[in-house]
Amino acid sequence: MIKNYFKIAFRNLWRHKSFSLINIVGLAVGMTACFLIFMYVRFELSYDKFNQNFSQIHRLNTDIKTPNEVLHWSSASPPMGPTLQADFPEVKANARVFGAGFLVESNNHKFQENNLAFTDPSLLKIFTFPFIHGNPATALKDPFSVVLTEASAKKYFGGTDIVGKTLKLNGKQLVTITGVMQDVPLNSHFNFDMLISSSTMEKMKLIDMNEWGNFSNATYILLPEGYDGLKLQAKLPDFLKKHISEDKRRKGYNYELFIEPLKDVYMDTFRGAPVNGNLRNVYVFSIVAIFILLIACINFVNLTTARSTERAKEVGIRKVIGAGKNQLTTQFLGESIIISMIAFIVSVLLSMLLLPLFNQLAGKIISHNIIEHGYIFILFAIAVAIGFLAGIYPALVLTNFKITTILKGRFTSSVKGIFLRKGLVVVQFTISIVLIVGTIIVYNQLNFMRNQSLGFRTDQMLVLDFSGDSTVQAMSESLKHEFTQVPGVLSASGSGTTPGNGNSVAYSEVESRNGSLVPVNMNLYDVDFDFIPQYGMKIVAGRAFSRDFATDSTKSFVVNETTVKNLGYTSAKDAVGKTFNQWGRKGTIIGVVQDFHFESLQQNVKPLNLRINPHNLGVFTLKIKGGDIPNTLKAVESKWKVLIPQRPFSYYFLDQNFNKQYATEDRFGKLFMYFAVLAIMISCLGLLGLASYSTLQRTREIGIRKVLGATVPGIVNMLSKEFLWLVGIAAIIAFPLAWLGMHSWLKDFAYKINIAWWVFAVAGILAMMIAISTVAFQAIRAALANPVKSLRSE
Amino acid sequence: MNKTEVSESTMIKITDLEKFYRTEEVETIALNKLSIEIKTGEFVAIMGPSGCGKSTLLNILGMLDDPDEGSYVFNGIEVAHFTERKRADLRKHNIGFVFQSFNLIDELTVFENVELPLIYTGVPSSERVKRVEEVLDKMQIMHRRNHYPQQLSGGQQQRVAIARAVVNKPKLILADEPTGNLDSSNGNDVMELLTDLNEQGTTIIMVTHSEHDARYSHRIIRLLDGQSVMENIMI
Ligand SMILES: Nc1ncnc2c1ncn2[C@@H]1O[C@H](COP(=O)(O)OP(=O)(O)OP(=O)(O)O)[C@@H](O)[C@H]1O
Ligand SMILES: [Mg+2]
Repeated sequence: MIKNYFKIAFRNLWRHKSFSLINIVGLAVGMTACFLIFMYVRFELSYDKFNQNFSQIHRLNTDIKTPNEVLHWSSASPPMGPTLQADFPEVKANARVFGAGFLVESNNHKFQENNLAFTDPSLLKIFTFPFIHGNPATALKDPFSVVLTEASAKKYFGGTDIVGKTLKLNGKQLVTITGVMQDVPLNSHFNFDMLISSSTMEKMKLIDMNEWGNFSNATYILLPEGYDGLKLQAKLPDFLKKHISEDKRRKGYNYELFIEPLKDVYMDTFRGAPVNGNLRNVYVFSIVAIFILLIACINFVNLTTARSTERAKEVGIRKVIGAGKNQLTTQFLGESIIISMIAFIVSVLLSMLLLPLFNQLAGKIISHNIIEHGYIFILFAIAVAIGFLAGIYPALVLTNFKITTILKGRFTSSVKGIFLRKGLVVVQFTISIVLIVGTIIVYNQLNFMRNQSLGFRTDQMLVLDFSGDSTVQAMSESLKHEFTQVPGVLSASGSGTTPGNGNSVAYSEVESRNGSLVPVNMNLYDVDFDFIPQYGMKIVAGRAFSRDFATDSTKSFVVNETTVKNLGYTSAKDAVGKTFNQWGRKGTIIGVVQDFHFESLQQNVKPLNLRINPHNLGVFTLKIKGGDIPNTLKAVESKWKVLIPQRPFSYYFLDQNFNKQYATEDRFGKLFMYFAVLAIMISCLGLLGLASYSTLQRTREIGIRKVLGATVPGIVNMLSKEFLWLVGIAAIIAFPLAWLGMHSWLKDFAYKINIAWWVFAVAGILAMMIAISTVAFQAIRAALANPVKSLRSE
Repeated sequence: MNKTEVSESTMIKITDLEKFYRTEEVETIALNKLSIEIKTGEFVAIMGPSGCGKSTLLNILGMLDDPDEGSYVFNGIEVAHFTERKRADLRKHNIGFVFQSFNLIDELTVFENVELPLIYTGVPSSERVKRVEEVLDKMQIMHRRNHYPQQLSGGQQQRVAIARAVVNKPKLILADEPTGNLDSSNGNDVMELLTDLNEQGTTIIMVTHSEHDARYSHRIIRLLDGQSVMENIMI
């Protein structure tokens, strides 16, 4: 029986090659898209699960309440972890992680490393980081011991058997390698190239480990299996009251602690994580995958039911001969599963081929191959399910034909069947048009963000990063002068950071309109005298820093417009001369700078101040001539090697670096576009199949019409019209859906485009044109055919 | 199952059988209180003008369709209101069909077409080969066993169709204008085959427009507007 089914299934496939091809290609492409997205989604949902204590690990988060805002931070202060463990028996372990950056030296190699971490020995007990050499239980116990990852061990020593060797930090501090661990898995919400024992930090006197008000480190705690972190969280207000008395807090400040299970950390876009996912994107792509698959399945259903006229005879005969309904259903389901299996094999090959590209697109290696993690078996199961789902409806339709009607000979598709097929085509094109509109809007927004004036000069700005090296800071004025001597360099300035690269937030007190001092969390830019003019920032009131005023380097602040607005001043001028205290520096506001975007356009501009502070400079920005940038760069590098020989040359361009912030949106946009193209392609494939069937069935009618005098354009028009209607209806349904979806996507951006009507027009016309070219080809062929031939075919 | 009193040799007994076709505007009475009895081993021809309900009757007798009113007793079992599944089951073991338009499956070879009913009745594979070859041989179509239907002449196709109808050794063969698409020589061959089968004990009911073909039967039932108007017993 099975053999007979297979036989007839394969013969059927072979006899109707173009039909089979459309089905297989459509399904294969749909499956490939679905498989890749499936792997992506699985990877995104796999974060941190490699940890054996996954369900027990929690992160300690803090809300910092200041008089005028609440900061939702993902960090805690250094004493919190150990004290928590001392106070509560349910806290089995705690580990703190402090991000760090050093110039690291081994033999003759020097690297500026910015992804290092100081941490407690217990980190290796809480998280699962297998060691290649050394003992994880003791590796981070002593001061000046470090653990390298496999990759960094190879980078410094060319091998991993290096326990006992030493490295030099910032040119002076020797540390001993006590272990080499496997690289941090890609699906970890934090990673590092080297761990340094936290006792080192104390010995180096980098921070005060007993300061309750300094929220600089991540804290992880281990709770008993099945223990609800909220139970512990409920006890934390009392804990805080006990340990942080009023006098230990800043005036008007208050804290609240939160326990967050590890499973939520990676996707936590509210507080953030070092490596941050986005659940919304996971949903979007899951839905897109389901949509694409749906489109491919619709093709299958449509083409199969459209062919039912042909298959009806076979069904009738089989029934007469003794086939039961179940046997026929099995047969037709078998056929669709065979098609889906062939499509599966094709899509496995395609997925293998495309996976490296997809990894690139996703910006990380979601999978090395599709055999990994038993993916292939899951995919196989999905493929069988697709075959089943796509086949069940046609199977039921075919087996439910009445024998007597079929055997009468003339058998045409039922009105219901035609209606359903048209409805499904509308669904396909609705999805496609939504995706097209989405793509256009994503790209518009990206373009908008890239081209939006940021409030400072971005092009031909070369930034040299010396990572706050104190010897460089000490000579910054003369070094700047030296760099401006390089041909092609126009000017130089120094600053602590550059827009797009993050900055410190400083607790400050500013005089408000009524004369009282209000606490404000100010974003802080430490700069030199050349920064504001070189960056082309506009002073809207008062003045910029000037070497002519002796107090400018110790007592003067420039604030941005948002600060002024938030303090209640109606005019920027009114803020000039007001009192401003920050981190022990007492002075006045001397000028107001026009708001500039120091964060991405997803964020509103926040209060910010600039001040002169040569001791906090981290980078030089060189304005360079447009002509020969590579040569200028080379010349700057040689100069660097002479002037700053102790540090590796490190640079970036301001605009590129700023736009890096949009990498996620960029990838999102690209993926969206690719899937939109796929969706419309598969939809058109189905339309092509349907159109060719419908014209095939009407061959006789077309012949008769031509004999009676119909013109070719008239016939093409007649044949194309019915399909174009469907695309039109799809557009009407798609537009509001797309508007709603994209409106909610745009909500994440503080600065965004308005959704223009032309986007819909373009999407609709595009879909219409693609559909026309698909259908018209068939229609023209049918219309041009010799009517004598088509009439004889009866 | 409800057994009705019938004599030993009665295969089919229909009483007051009615069949209507309702379309939106009109209701057609295809069979109008028709009563017929057919004995095991008979060869019956059904004749009548076009549209008088011959095919409708044959479809009901073959359990491809069910009547609206009346009773149909097949081999002592009332089947008028059987479910589709039960009808299919009874059909595949007892009845073979031959059609005017042959109705072979284009995707299957001659051999496979004939083998199909055996597959549906669950005959094991080795037994199937034997029986298919036997019947193809009898129909003198053995040399074409691996051809596809389109590669055969009309007469050859009808012989394959008859081979398929008899391969399961049915007690009853229903033939709807079996010679309708054939020339007279091929038509006669088919009639000879049916006569042979009838002589070996198979009951045959055949719809025909040809008085010549009808002469092969034992009895002619003439229908007019869904009612039996006359029965001729052939000698
Ligand atoms: N599916 C149907 N729907 C409506 N009316 C039908 C249907 N099938 C048959 N009829 C009507 O029932 C009547 C009997 O039809 P039937 O096919 O049994 O005639 P027939 O005797 O076989 O004719 P012919 O010799 O032309 O084959 C006809 O009047 C026909 O129009
Ligand atoms: Mg008829």
